[in-house]
Amino acid sequence: MEAPYAIEMLNITKRFPGIVANDNITLQLKKGEIHALLGENGAGKSTLMSVLFGLYQPEEGVIKKDGEVVEIRDPNDANALGIGMVHQHFKLVECFTVLDNIIMGVEPTKYGFLQKKEAREKVLALSEKYGLRVDPDALIEDITVGMQQRTEILKMLYRENEILIFDEPTAVLTPQEIVELMQIMKNLAAEGKSILFISHKLAEIMAVADRCTVLRKGKYIGTVETKNSSMEELSAMMVGRDVNFHVEKKPAQPGDTVLEIEHMSVASKLHKKDAVHDVSLKVRKGEIVCIAGIDGNGQSEFVYGLTGLEPLTGGRILFEGQDITRAPIRQRSVKGMSHIPEDRHKHGLVLDYTLEDNLVLQRYFEPEFTSKTGFLRRDNIRSYAERLIEDYDVRSGQGPVTMARAMSGGNQQKAIIAREIDKDPELLVAVQPTRGLDVGAIEFVHKKLVEQRDAGKAVLLISLELDEVMDVPDRILVMYEGEIVGELDPKKTTEDELGLYMAGAKRDEVSA
Amino acid sequence: MLLLIQYTLIFSSVLLLVALGGCFSEHSGVINLGLEGIMVIGALGGALMMRFVPLTVSPFVMVVLVILGAVVLGVAYSTLLGVACINLKADQTIVGTAMNMLGTAAATVFVKAINTAANPDDVSSTIQYAEAKKAFLVNIGGFEFNWFMLIAVIALAIAYVTLYKTKFGLRLMACGEHPQAADSVGINVYKMRWAGVLISGVYGGLGGICYILAGVSEWRFENGVAGFGFLALAVMIFGQWKPTRIALAALLFGLFRALSNVYFGFDFLVSLNIPGSIYNMMPYVISLLVLAFTSKNSRAPKAEGIPYDKGQR
Amino acid sequence: MKKNLLKNNAVQSLIASLICIVLGLFLGYIVLLFINPSGAGGAILAVIKNFLNSTRANLRMKNFGNTLVKTAPLLMCSLSVLFAYKVGLFNIGAAGQYVAGSCACLIAALGWGWGWLPCLLFACVVGAVYGAVVGLLKAYCNVNEVISGIMLNWIGLYTTNMILASVKESTSNYTLHVANEAPQAILPSLGLGKLFNNNQYITLAIPLSILLAIAIMIVLDKTKFGYELKATGGNKNAAKYAGMAEKRNIILTLMIAGALAALGGAFLYQTDYEQWSVTQSSVPGMGFNGIAAAFLGGLNPIGTIFASYFIQHITNGGAYVDLTKYSSQISDLISSIIIYLCGFVLFIKYAINTGIARREEKQARKVQAEAAETEKGGDA
Repeated sequence: MEAPYAIEMLNITKRFPGIVANDNITLQLKKGEIHALLGENGAGKSTLMSVLFGLYQPEEGVIKKDGEVVEIRDPNDANALGIGMVHQHFKLVECFTVLDNIIMGVEPTKYGFLQKKEAREKVLALSEKYGLRVDPDALIEDITVGMQQRTEILKMLYRENEILIFDEPTAVLTPQEIVELMQIMKNLAAEGKSILFISHKLAEIMAVADRCTVLRKGKYIGTVETKNSSMEELSAMMVGRDVNFHVEKKPAQPGDTVLEIEHMSVASKLHKKDAVHDVSLKVRKGEIVCIAGIDGNGQSEFVYGLTGLEPLTGGRILFEGQDITRAPIRQRSVKGMSHIPEDRHKHGLVLDYTLEDNLVLQRYFEPEFTSKTGFLRRDNIRSYAERLIEDYDVRSGQGPVTMARAMSGGNQQKAIIAREIDKDPELLVAVQPTRGLDVGAIEFVHKKLVEQRDAGKAVLLISLELDEVMDVPDRILVMYEGEIVGELDPKKTTEDELGLYMAGAKRDEVSA
Repeated sequence: MLLLIQYTLIFSSVLLLVALGGCFSEHSGVINLGLEGIMVIGALGGALMMRFVPLTVSPFVMVVLVILGAVVLGVAYSTLLGVACINLKADQTIVGTAMNMLGTAAATVFVKAINTAANPDDVSSTIQYAEAKKAFLVNIGGFEFNWFMLIAVIALAIAYVTLYKTKFGLRLMACGEHPQAADSVGINVYKMRWAGVLISGVYGGLGGICYILAGVSEWRFENGVAGFGFLALAVMIFGQWKPTRIALAALLFGLFRALSNVYFGFDFLVSLNIPGSIYNMMPYVISLLVLAFTSKNSRAPKAEGIPYDKGQR
Repeated sequence: MKKNLLKNNAVQSLIASLICIVLGLFLGYIVLLFINPSGAGGAILAVIKNFLNSTRANLRMKNFGNTLVKTAPLLMCSLSVLFAYKVGLFNIGAAGQYVAGSCACLIAALGWGWGWLPCLLFACVVGAVYGAVVGLLKAYCNVNEVISGIMLNWIGLYTTNMILASVKESTSNYTLHVANEAPQAILPSLGLGKLFNNNQYITLAIPLSILLAIAIMIVLDKTKFGYELKATGGNKNAAKYAGMAEKRNIILTLMIAGALAALGGAFLYQTDYEQWSVTQSSVPGMGFNGIAAAFLGGLNPIGTIFASYFIQHITNGGAYVDLTKYSSQISDLISSIIIYLCGFVLFIKYAINTGIARREEKQARKVQAEAAETEKGGDA
């Protein structure tokens, strides 16, 4: 009798220094099913998949393929067993063509020379069969994210993989593309492929998966049939308690306008068009305005333009009535603009500086920290750092002198939030401030944002998380392809409506 | 005029060979600042062959042996870069710089030792090869054809085909652009980077021996190769890491280098009464200017200079 | 609890440097064995002993002084490299800036008859301008500072040869003796020469270079400027985000680095210890050795003082090897091996750290196991 499971991961344990990333986890994937793997950030999903893909070796447990024990030492072994993976961050060489990326590693050759013609025919046949539209000769850097993802899927199909892993595939897609992807996944399953679908989005799992395995903090919680389950049940399994995502806050009492942006445009680094085009908006005292949108719709460039990291190609910025369009970054900061950056490692921290030196990164030049002769006032820096560490509960091994590099991601983020909020800004620009944080820390950050608002400050939140967009702000502006396409009231709108705006399916003339 | 063309071609050949070496290394993801040192050691390999192989062998055998000597030592020396930068993840800039200094110092010490052993009064670091050098030259109506001109053209063709038409080239470039992607499809990034570095050893060694054969019939190893390795890097950057463009860039730079050798053969240049030093520094000034205008929109391999760590994915 | 000394960064740097030195000498020894096995041990000893090879005490002192005379310019070059490296720039152009400084002070002294202080300052300014070229190219044209630095080294060499040809001796290719033709430009000796058996080359340069090393350390560790520079070197995106003027800092850093290296040139040529050969066709090694000293010194200004002395010590020591067997360049060979090994400093530190971590984890597990044992015992 044929084994019912395509892949079984039995009692897998994987430790890293200091943590058990996977603690006795079992996952069984049936042939031809779509099996979701659900868990919060840090629940151990990625580690488990890396074990399956041969990137890590587990300390305990076995992996079985078709009922037989197999050993997967590296991606080659995984590939030989017919396991393929679409990584969250695509593994595509940007200056290569779609075709080159698909055949890389399994190139058809004659005497070492590439035989691209037959490869192209095979790719075209596959893209026809599964409805995966791609242009094999386009360069990766020129095509859309959706097409890049289809390239990744074709990579697996080209290798005739039977077990397909999708690692958070919808994070970068528009709702329409998500629908399309769901259909593709169903087609693949219907053709007999077994699919592992990693996600923390409940609706998608309910829509597409047959079964769902839930992980929490590295532990196995259970496996359920989605048709016998509900979002509420899955959610409770995922977080371990009934979650109340709702943020407690009083109604906003907006005051004078703090920030006024008129017709702002910012050039793109990726293509010739503007990344931000003709954006106008206002932010008032005592309100939280959220810019919602799918990743890559110009939010990053908008923030760069606003904070001075990139020059504008058009328009102007008024901050408390003054024109700061061409003001240098320092001047904006001193005038009262704080910025919690999107990428804490790229912009937010000097990793080889101590925590205390990072905490004064925006203020080191103030008389409190630098004497008139240009010497740093180390005592003051220390006591200031100690206060922030206390107030914001920043945990680290050695307190103020801990190297930022040695701190956990969550505490690094808290340090940045402490630094930016404690500056007592008139306007706080917070870009995905809760990225990579656990539930408790997220609540803490949301509370701080609301506190700022209630203290009469303006907050501009840029977020990709629907929950955050619905709960935290007082007003929502939706950004699509570099333009503001709608203004919504979070109390009146629904996630469905928001989704339509984010996908560009609906747009208003916004005067903001 | 013929002399100018001759020198242009031979210097271009040097630059082309070395720049292609750098191109292979960088496409695999390793910045090879040690090309200068590789050239010196390659030159040493070739020069030793010319010194110790009896002149009775046929010119063809001589050419083959000299090339072999240069290639073997060039490759052997490039392993220093590979071990340090690929396996031990050392800083590629420091290692490259050290290799340049080490190349000249080692060659000097070594040649002096050989010279002193042969003749206790001889403490020079010079190897003479006036006779052996003739094996490389063919006189065509006053034009001194050097076999290296042909070798450079062949090397160019090989580089082009390898990079763009073979499985190896595709994988090599993937390692320089996005090693994680290469790794995820089962390509051994370390192996490919080693290949890139060793190939740059082959090309660098060839370029080195070609350089010391270019004009003179003896070489003082204390002098190294006068920054030619770096000129080649400038050629590579100007050529935007593409073999055909590198060839054009090499011709341009070769012309300026040749001028400094033969400017006194042109009446109008002599009449300008410019000191020789000006011509000597011309290639460096030109490359500086060229770099100033081309570096802004560089198409350098994205992952070059970053040691690949399998653990960090 | 006892604090693990090995965890200290400075201790780790010291260990790493010592490993580099020992390995470097050992590898040098092996090379010598290949060349001529009979004298290898003696040659390495000669290199290490340097002036101690001299039999007479007063000569020893004088030769020690000579080593110090050349340590001062080397220290300046290595400070130049170190300072730039703190901002994430690899100043291989120190060699050219050193040449530019030499050129400036010699032409000012011999050609224009300037006094020692104006000569010194002029060298500084010229070096700063020369460094600024690299900085401008880096900041505004994105030119890799290593390549532009190398190009400028050669340009500087040929320019210097051209300029100094006007003040050379008529019978040789060397520049005139500063001590004879322009004694006003000789750096004051402050009576220090007497300490070294009346070595006339001992000047202000030696204490000044050490003071400058300390000054650099203070600037880097204690001032706002140093804070900004190191932040730019650590993460230039974060520095920009924090409103630091990244381009200005890059240019300023290279100007200072250029001035430091150029001072090195002045520190040598304004003692008349050496004359410049206007036909030399390779860039003086001083700047490159500066790279060695900077990294060997663990990129710490104080460490650099000792590292510079060590490098110069073995370089001078090269002169004492048996020249019938080896050449004096074996010390260049050893110092270049040491730089090569310096590339592994991070790796060595990493190895030390993982070693410690592993031991600690083992210990922690043991403690845990023991605790579990006692608990069980308690239950029973």
